[in-house]
Amino acid sequence: MPTLNEYLLMGGLLFVIGLCGVMIRSNIIVILMSLEMMLSAANLTLVAFWRFGGGEGLPADSYNAQVMVFFVITVAAAEVAVGLAIIVALFRSRQTVDVEELRSMKG
Amino acid sequence: MLDQYLPVLMQLSVATGFAVSTLLISVLLGKSAKSNAIKDSAYECGMLPIGDDKPRFSVKFYVIAMLFVIFDIEVVFMYPWAVTFKNFLANGQAAMVFWSMSGFVGILLVAYLYALKKGALSWKS
Amino acid sequence: MPAYYLEILILLLGFTMLGIEAFSSNRSRSGIAVLGISGLFVVLLFLIIAVPSSEVPYDYWGIYHVDKWALFYKAIAILTTLLVLVLAKDFSSAFKKYTSQSNEFSGIGEYYCLPIFVCAGLMWMASAKDLITIFVSLELVTIGFYVLVSFMRRNVGSLEAGVKYLVLGALSTGFLVYGIAWIFGVTGHFDLSGIAEALNSGEIEKKPIIFAFALLMVGLGFKVAAVPFHIWVPDVYQGTSMPITAFLSVGSKAAGFIVLLRVIEPFLNSPLTSSSVILILSFLVCVTLFFGNLVAIKQTNIKRLLAYSSIAHAGFLMMALPAMESGFHSKLIGPSPMESISFYLAGYLLMTMLCFLVITIVSSLTDGENIDDLRGLGARSPLLAFAMLVGVASLAGIPLTVGFFGKFLLFNIAIQYAVFSGSWYIVAFAVLGASAGFYYYFKIIRAMYCGGAEQDGDQLALTISTLSRVVIIVLLAGVILCGVFPKLILGFL
Repeated sequence: MPTLNEYLLMGGLLFVIGLCGVMIRSNIIVILMSLEMMLSAANLTLVAFWRFGGGEGLPADSYNAQVMVFFVITVAAAEVAVGLAIIVALFRSRQTVDVEELRSMKG
Repeated sequence: MLDQYLPVLMQLSVATGFAVSTLLISVLLGKSAKSNAIKDSAYECGMLPIGDDKPRFSVKFYVIAMLFVIFDIEVVFMYPWAVTFKNFLANGQAAMVFWSMSGFVGILLVAYLYALKKGALSWKS
Repeated sequence: MPAYYLEILILLLGFTMLGIEAFSSNRSRSGIAVLGISGLFVVLLFLIIAVPSSEVPYDYWGIYHVDKWALFYKAIAILTTLLVLVLAKDFSSAFKKYTSQSNEFSGIGEYYCLPIFVCAGLMWMASAKDLITIFVSLELVTIGFYVLVSFMRRNVGSLEAGVKYLVLGALSTGFLVYGIAWIFGVTGHFDLSGIAEALNSGEIEKKPIIFAFALLMVGLGFKVAAVPFHIWVPDVYQGTSMPITAFLSVGSKAAGFIVLLRVIEPFLNSPLTSSSVILILSFLVCVTLFFGNLVAIKQTNIKRLLAYSSIAHAGFLMMALPAMESGFHSKLIGPSPMESISFYLAGYLLMTMLCFLVITIVSSLTDGENIDDLRGLGARSPLLAFAMLVGVASLAGIPLTVGFFGKFLLFNIAIQYAVFSGSWYIVAFAVLGASAGFYYYFKIIRAMYCGGAEQDGDQLALTISTLSRVVIIVLLAGVILCGVFPKLILGFL
């Protein structure tokens, strides 16, 4: 059975991959997917900490962390819904989903 | 404890085996075809195809999909509520728990009515 | 009436407005704005008179905390939203150009409803003493702002600002959630009192908890616009509509600060983390003060100028944070850091809203957002020019305005803390920043009074609605009165 450290490593890797995706890619859809990945990494970390939170490999006795995960999932869905709506509106007015082309403001 | 997972393992191996074997069979039995640009293009009664090969979806699909995601996610809160409802019933707190979920559903209802009235769910443009 | 009814009332108000927007056949939407303004006013009255003092402080189910700070910041949230709706009503004429082509009023109803829901989120943030509640209310605010920032669909700048706010906001959410996950992992708690206990128990390791705290600071630093998490601020302020710029600048910052104050308190008071937390905070304060003030100097767009000024104000406010350290608390003479920050934020609300009200009225007529567009305002409309003069002077911190007393209280704490801990470099950065502030705020005053209008076209009569005129005079009186008698605000604290 995997240990807590392995789950944390996995969560950390996912988080960093997501962060790199946000930094490097210029397509907004891909950036949004990377952001979702960061939230999933946080969820994995939360659930892993809950699962091993009781000491000696037992789950923690309170379900707080699971509740938090539900909220994160919901918030992520709402964020994507609003985000995609903004991207659709942007595509209609600019015909692009490339963040490199969004540089009308400077200073 | 591990033997409990045996059915899962079997199902996994059957699924992957089926996928891999069908792919292999089609590669082995099918005649290998060379592809070129004309062969890969869409067939339009002999005319050369014009425009983007990826079809644009109407934004209607998108709106409905997003509304589905939002309303679908809300059910996540109803399952734990339903599971713990009995405990609260035993403690005599049923009214409080019932009304808090009613409030939650009520908020969704207002949002649903708003979406309906704004025509987000109608197919006719 | 229990305090949590306030948020429920606000939500009911929002849903009523949304229902009217969807089902009313009347094309004009200004009725919705009036309903929102009066509804918020009633809730504000309830907050002041109807919350029994026996319930302060009180803890509901461990997730909703009412104390005098919570009530104070709830009042700030309601007042901000109320003023934003007044601004939005004035802005609606300029706004119509950018929304829908078919029906000139469609879409503006939501523009009045969404700030109400954001307001509910801000109020929950003021009461949140649990990382789950903090997260959910923070996201209610942030997602509401995503929509509001990109609301002008036909305006490319607004959409661009929306996308930038979305990407960077979601990024900060990611950091916040990951930080919360680590804090839960290390301490085993989500509620701040439990975290404080765990931090003082001496059973946890230092490295992971500092890591978690740093992640949390990225998320919260974004909310209060601290350098280096400020990159969204100038573009979003410039791109979005004027009322939302004001809302972001005041509402988002005030609620961000109450959460920041609540979250860092257990970390500052634990001997395990205290020194590292002070180091992180001091670094943030110095770069925020330095960067915000110096980049503001070269701005010509007035919204960008106010954006950098908002960053600079975040720096001044954060100056008092390290002084919340428990070892220093008993030695401080004068108002506590919490009181000073709250005073400053209340004053910041008055003076920023005053400036934005004037700029909204001017720019909805002339369509210009540069400092040069204010040229000759002193001759065109003495009331607006005087209001702007007072607002800007207060932002700069000139005596007899509320901004002066705010800065005075914060400098008082920073200097005493420097004597205590030797962190004079923070004071040096603050003095540098404040003096740079005098320069760039003075540019606005000079444009209004010294440069005459160049063309006759600029001499359009500025019409001010009665509502705006009343609000301007009230805010003007507030800025000056609270500057002369700071007890007016300090009395509530």
